[in-house]
Amino acid sequence: MRLLPLVMSVTTLAVGLAAQGGSSIRYGFLELQDTLYNAMDKVAPSTVTVQTFGGTRKVEGGKRPLTPPKMPKGTPPGGKKKKPPPLGMKGFLQSQGATTGIILSEDGWIIVSKFALNYDPTTILITLHDGRTFNAVRKGEDISRQIALVKIEAEGLPVPKFADPNKVKVGQWAFVLGRTFGAKDPSVHMGVVSATRRVFGRALQTDAYTSPANYGGPLIDIEGRVLGISVPMDASGRKANVGLYDSGIGFAASIADIQPLIERMKKGEVLHRGFLGIGFDMSHLGPGAKLKTVIEKSAAYKAGIRKSYTVLSIDGTKVLNNFHLQMLVGIKMAGDPVHLKVRKRNKEEFGVTVFLTKVPDAQMAAKKKAEAAADEPLPWEKDRK
Amino acid sequence: MRLLITFTASVVIAGVLVGQDRETFYAFNDRAPKTKLEKTISKVLPSIVKVHGASGLKTIQSYSTGIIVSKQGHILTLDLILVQVDRTKIVLHDGTVCEVDVYPAEEKCGVRMLKIKDGDFKKLKKPLVPMSISKKQKHRNGTFVVSLGNCFRLAEFSEKVSATLGVIVSRMNTGLRYRLMDVDYGGELIVTDAPNNPGHYGGGLFTIRGEWIGLNTKIVESTETNSQVSAAIPTSELAAYVERCIKKGRAGAVEPEDEVVVVPVHHGIKLFDHGRRVSPPAYVERVKRGSPGRKVGLKPDDLIVKIDRHTIRTCKDFRRILKLYKPGQTVQVTFKRGTKIKQSNMTFEEVK
Repeated sequence: MRLLPLVMSVTTLAVGLAAQGGSSIRYGFLELQDTLYNAMDKVAPSTVTVQTFGGTRKVEGGKRPLTPPKMPKGTPPGGKKKKPPPLGMKGFLQSQGATTGIILSEDGWIIVSKFALNYDPTTILITLHDGRTFNAVRKGEDISRQIALVKIEAEGLPVPKFADPNKVKVGQWAFVLGRTFGAKDPSVHMGVVSATRRVFGRALQTDAYTSPANYGGPLIDIEGRVLGISVPMDASGRKANVGLYDSGIGFAASIADIQPLIERMKKGEVLHRGFLGIGFDMSHLGPGAKLKTVIEKSAAYKAGIRKSYTVLSIDGTKVLNNFHLQMLVGIKMAGDPVHLKVRKRNKEEFGVTVFLTKVPDAQMAAKKKAEAAADEPLPWEKDRK
Repeated sequence: MRLLITFTASVVIAGVLVGQDRETFYAFNDRAPKTKLEKTISKVLPSIVKVHGASGLKTIQSYSTGIIVSKQGHILTLDLILVQVDRTKIVLHDGTVCEVDVYPAEEKCGVRMLKIKDGDFKKLKKPLVPMSISKKQKHRNGTFVVSLGNCFRLAEFSEKVSATLGVIVSRMNTGLRYRLMDVDYGGELIVTDAPNNPGHYGGGLFTIRGEWIGLNTKIVESTETNSQVSAAIPTSELAAYVERCIKKGRAGAVEPEDEVVVVPVHHGIKLFDHGRRVSPPAYVERVKRGSPGRKVGLKPDDLIVKIDRHTIRTCKDFRRILKLYKPGQTVQVTFKRGTKIKQSNMTFEEVK
């Protein structure tokens, strides 16, 4: 009985100390450090340097001159003197430095980012981690994921472990490796997985800095498994967005779940995202997706779908609203069949199988024109016109 | 006895409560550091000073960060225009403002030494805490680092400078650009993904264990990637300058280096260079008989891709890289013939 207060006081002391100590951090950076080194060592031999030579195509942008243009001397009659145009890049000129690739199989299949091939290079060279250099042959591409396959004549290459992208949790550690700077060890950027199933389920989002310094490099987890390949993407998955360089919004296309597509790409196929050719009536909130426009000669038009029809289900999945249908079609690739259940204007329902096409060139041209119109022409350009 | 114990217990409880109250009431008081990173930062902070100078230019900040490197009051910072004689002041971590002497800059790395003026130095209440320079660095890519600096002049007087966390991205030796101008720095740089903002310049890059490994630079662009990089000059590159400044007291003006004389080399390789604005890849057009190129076995239509470790992407690169060599030197040439990659050694000759 005499001991009770003592016990009490000791307990109080312990509780008090614990309260003051707060939540102790179990894993400090020093423990994490060794784990990171191990993870890097597992994947580093499977990353390769991709160097390209030649090529003609210019990447869009670069409208402003690098050197000052000749301005007329003196004051022009009846007007202010024009200011010289600002220098520097308005758009961007893609760097031609080396990029990175990941070994996909022992017999020399290598997955690279489409970024490496944007210039249509005449020669692609792959340098392995041990310094051997090979000539690579360009094979298929997946435009929607911004990835491409190349093949080298080599055997017994180290293949990394690929993680299942469906088991990735938001907030887990993620590191991007790259081989642009040509050092012996790959460069590494630190971050976490920001989101899964971005860009119609094609990519993971990460806050590790991604830019040409590591495009084509693997996004790895703390156990040294490859989650995806770092690619230039924006949320629409259409183009490389220079505004996103090192911004903390990076995308990594998942590889482990697209084995059938990789088999198609190995045969040299160029894959595009699927295109149905419909426009939505945004006043319709569901159920089903109501169509406002159907583009002529598109896949949907050929299947007998016209405007003011309502799409009720796709491949047996009930369509909740316009956006839901957009999501469900966005997952598909060009050439994939989809089974649609459609309601006509007169409430009659019918089922039809549509083979998706790629986005027609005319459509792309219109989009480009609209994008160009959005860029306000600079004053001296106006004069020229 | 029982009373005493109860009293002790209540004192302990009260103490705990008061302790908690202090934390809530005086939010500006730091709590004691717990993790290794927190301990490191609080250990390192006293060595970091805020540098304020004059600047009449819009694009150049008048503030940066510096690091104390000696007990006599030597401070290393980045050489920006803001650092001017009689106009530069530093603020120690406890808020003391001191005037400084300005040493001649180190041209190669673009750093400058400052020294607290004797009058101010004598008034200091506490001794300075200098950082020691590590000359040998073996940190591999992926090492966690913390970068400290006064970014955007967020800290004034005794306010603490900002810390950003990242990893060593790479140690690289690549072409650099600063606002469309090429930067002439041949040494190695530590690239990190800890953000490096205006004002953070001149601050330090430290490992989690508290070792000083680099001095933050301006934000430069890599010509390799066209993207901006946060970089730091390794302390190993700075050691010589720092030692010289501390030893001599006032380091004299840096003697200009001998101009490098470029001796043209004879290789006998004529490239297919059509001389347009964009230089084409280095395809061989013809090779002179009996020349080093012929001895290597180069033939027309071969594509030269590498000389030693330098990648030859264009004919322009080829001409630029050759300036680095002298007659008599042997290099490894990598070239592509058809789909095969070949390598052989070539010895340059004198131009006759």
